[in-house]
Amino acid sequence: MSSKAHSSNNIAHARRTVQQLRIEASIERIKVSKASAILMSYCSEHARNDPLLMGIPASDNPFKDKKPCTIL
Amino acid sequence: MCDQTFVAATFGPCESCGKASPLMNIYIKTEAINYCSFCVEMMACKGLQEGETVASLKKESESLKKKLDEERGKLSDIELNQVAEKVEVLGPLCIKTRRVLKGHGNKVLCMDWCKDKRRLVSSSQDGKVIVWDAFTLNKEHAVSLPCTWVLTCAYAPSGCAVACGGLDNKCSVFPLSLDKNENLSAKKKSVAMHTNYVSGCTFTSSDMQLLTSSGDGTCALWDVESGQLLQSFHGHTADVLSLDLAPSETGNTFVSGGCDKKANVWDMRSGQNVQSFETHESDINCVNLNYYCQLNPFVSGLCCCMFTGAPQCRFYDLRADREVAIYQKDSIIFGASTVDFSLSGRLLFAGYNDYTINLWDTLKGTRVSVLFGHENRVSRVRVSPDGTALCSASWDNTLRVMSWSTMSNILFYTQRKGCCILRLFSL
Repeated sequence: MSSKAHSSNNIAHARRTVQQLRIEASIERIKVSKASAILMSYCSEHARNDPLLMGIPASDNPFKDKKPCTIL
Repeated sequence: MCDQTFVAATFGPCESCGKASPLMNIYIKTEAINYCSFCVEMMACKGLQEGETVASLKKESESLKKKLDEERGKLSDIELNQVAEKVEVLGPLCIKTRRVLKGHGNKVLCMDWCKDKRRLVSSSQDGKVIVWDAFTLNKEHAVSLPCTWVLTCAYAPSGCAVACGGLDNKCSVFPLSLDKNENLSAKKKSVAMHTNYVSGCTFTSSDMQLLTSSGDGTCALWDVESGQLLQSFHGHTADVLSLDLAPSETGNTFVSGGCDKKANVWDMRSGQNVQSFETHESDINCVNLNYYCQLNPFVSGLCCCMFTGAPQCRFYDLRADREVAIYQKDSIIFGASTVDFSLSGRLLFAGYNDYTINLWDTLKGTRVSVLFGHENRVSRVRVSPDGTALCSASWDNTLRVMSWSTMSNILFYTQRKGCCILRLFSL
């Protein structure tokens, strides 16, 4: 009984795999060059908004260390 | 479809739909099929069983896989780093640790930022979930969970609740109140129930829905208020270790990564697995397989940390449906377990098991910087919602908040110092 159940599960599993692969094979793809161009343009567009690339003025940085000038 | 009456010799779970009902025991090409009568009807109508055996299905799946690889190969006309040669090289970045959050008694396993850019929640092996104010180092809330190894935690978009889960196979939501004396454990709401550990959780665009991933191989979408399962996502053949949700403006997509070496892209509404990425590592001689995935801000790129024999971070483009970059160096021999992108997607932070965080230029594929400081492996890195800071959680029981400035700011500081010294001398 267990071997019969195993083989039926194999069929169900195999059928699911085939259906999944059919879906994946049919999706629309674009070329890597085009995808890279899109990635690059997105990055350059948003680089202005990225504090890591633009730097944070010390006055705005919420995490800056507050050091009083003790010499004066 | 109307049901026929038949003599049922057996009663039990149907091998097709799983529901317990009287079964028809039929044989197709010497293979026994025990389906309930409804499924037999479905089978007959679909006409699929004609000559279909495991062998024929296997052949078809092999040919489909080959076709998939071919199609993907056709599009690989150029490498991402070649296209990115024209992009300017990044200037030197100065990243310093600004805060060290101490308080957990054991490994910190996960953390998440609040949308207000200053609070964060962290969960640890000691069973505690702590909500911190990262500016003041204040511990605003602390909850002790009955089980240890709280593998995941998430902050609600409104900032009014946190979710956490782990080895208790559940994901619970705690509403946060301003009243410090209130017992948070009393208001705990169990939302998600899995049959194995909960490895990842995140709220969707609102506080009302929670997405979880589990060691039972599934992901699930839950309604927080009722605890009802709204959608489940089946497709992984092993534990699902991580998930990441696309920003809400771009639709209902999320990605999950699992121990079956696959990253699956899902449509949240239909539960359908729309894309899948698998690595074909020929020499896999590792004990620990870490598979962590993160979507870039544009949701066209997915970065996966793979730790097999050769530790690498792979960058897949969803639209090109293939891998477009690998971030690796011969000097890096330990695997990465967590990644996060900067706000523009240009930079990638990756936390490694050698206690460091490497900063990669996603377009050029080069390493920009290495961040030291932790004394044990880095379990989670997250950039704050406004991109001004990075928080890293580690097995050394601490969290570190790092922030950055550009070289120009450093010059400004040294000039000021010079001024002060001159004044001293003139005195």
